[in-house]
Amino acid sequence: MRTSRPVLRLRNLSRRIGHTDNTRIIIDSVSFDFERQKIYTILGPSGAGKSSLLRLINRLDEPTGGEVTLEGKPQCDYSPCDLRRKVGYLFQTPHLFPGSVRDNLLYACSDLSEEEIRTLAEQSHLKTEMVDRSADALSVGEKQRVALARLLATKPTLALLDEPTSALDPAHTAGIESLIRELANQRGLTVIMVTHTPEQALRMGGESLLLVSGRLAEHGPCDRVVNYPQTESGRMYQRKELR
Amino acid sequence: MNSIGFTEVLIALSLVLLSIVVSRYWKIPVQKDMALGSVRAFVQLVAVGYALKYIFALDSVWVVLLVIMVMILVGAQAASGRVTGIRRGFVITSVAMTMGSLLTLGAMLLLGVITLEARFVIPLAGMIIGNSMNASALTVNRISADIRNNRLAIETALALGKSWREATLPYQKEAAVAGMLSMLNFMKTVGIVALPGAMTGMILAGAEPFDAVMLQIVVGYMLLCAVTITSVVALELTVRRFFTSCHQLVLPMD
Repeated sequence: MRTSRPVLRLRNLSRRIGHTDNTRIIIDSVSFDFERQKIYTILGPSGAGKSSLLRLINRLDEPTGGEVTLEGKPQCDYSPCDLRRKVGYLFQTPHLFPGSVRDNLLYACSDLSEEEIRTLAEQSHLKTEMVDRSADALSVGEKQRVALARLLATKPTLALLDEPTSALDPAHTAGIESLIRELANQRGLTVIMVTHTPEQALRMGGESLLLVSGRLAEHGPCDRVVNYPQTESGRMYQRKELR
Repeated sequence: MNSIGFTEVLIALSLVLLSIVVSRYWKIPVQKDMALGSVRAFVQLVAVGYALKYIFALDSVWVVLLVIMVMILVGAQAASGRVTGIRRGFVITSVAMTMGSLLTLGAMLLLGVITLEARFVIPLAGMIIGNSMNASALTVNRISADIRNNRLAIETALALGKSWREATLPYQKEAAVAGMLSMLNFMKTVGIVALPGAMTGMILAGAEPFDAVMLQIVVGYMLLCAVTITSVVALELTVRRFFTSCHQLVLPMD
């Protein structure tokens, strides 16, 4: 039974693109409550609207219908810049700005103390000496850790992760997955992570949401969504008929 | 130097014929363009000569303003034709060029550096508009291309809570420099690598070299100011096209 107020509430959230005679539905009336300090994975076939849903939550795209409420306050009551500092977003391919790792952390929050920079680096499993290394000289796995640390620098309450391991090899993938779980526990973050592999959803634990053609087809504990789907769409996804 | 009339122009035409012969010998396929271009230049310039003679004789402020506006609109149309990747480029180039040209000319008139006479204002406006035209097209093209090519970097910055202005700052700087670059290079090399047109024209017309130099310096400063204002306005108007009021990146013509 859910007792605490959800950190994020989606109500009939929709996004359509195109003009009246050629409209495409990207997100179709999605409603869901995300609780604090939990990990959520979003599953679904390609083009189901997984990344688009994250973009609507971060307001990188504008919903065409419905409502997003963050900590009890409608999304549009926040200035877009304030909202995005509360709702961190990690892209599939990490982009680091020119300069050092420190420069990247300071870009997100210019008044970070030396102590805070060191803590962020440690929490993101970055060696302390790496802080002064050029961002260009890092591997993709290291870049993704820096991008995670940079996201944390704005002290978000919610982290939206868009397939953060898709460009990584299995060893780095495992490292980033454990880092995300750790950060969710240590910092009390709510994590919403897009993944296209049910196996990753099972490894991350928490709850899963299955999106099919922009609609929320199924949700619940990840084991149930992945292994014991209750809907026809869920069973088709399990049988890999939707991927 | 002798005064130049139609006879001298016809004699100079022999140089065009020489160019056609040389290009034909080397099989460079430009003879038609050369012939047409020479005729076109002759007709256009003679027409402009008569028009300017008439306009100078009128010496009316309204006629001068009308001529300048027509020059700006024609220049803006030409500049927008070189703009790619953005809709209604004409609005951007015409507003930027109007602001760059009129503010510069207005400042020079108010400060008393030039007088409101058609024979001064129109040739200067022509130089200013020509340079503003290039600056606006270069700036718009550069910033449009940079925004399209750096979508991930810009959205990463936006997702970190940066405004569209902060997210595009590095590209804005580069685009502004691109728009002003030819003018900056001109300022560096003027008088050393090449003698500029206004100065050369005055010297050929018999003016004292020092007077010609003074005028050229004023012209150079005016062009720098006009190009700077045009680039900045074009930049501002173009970048705004790519973002909503909620700091969301939208790529026009997608």
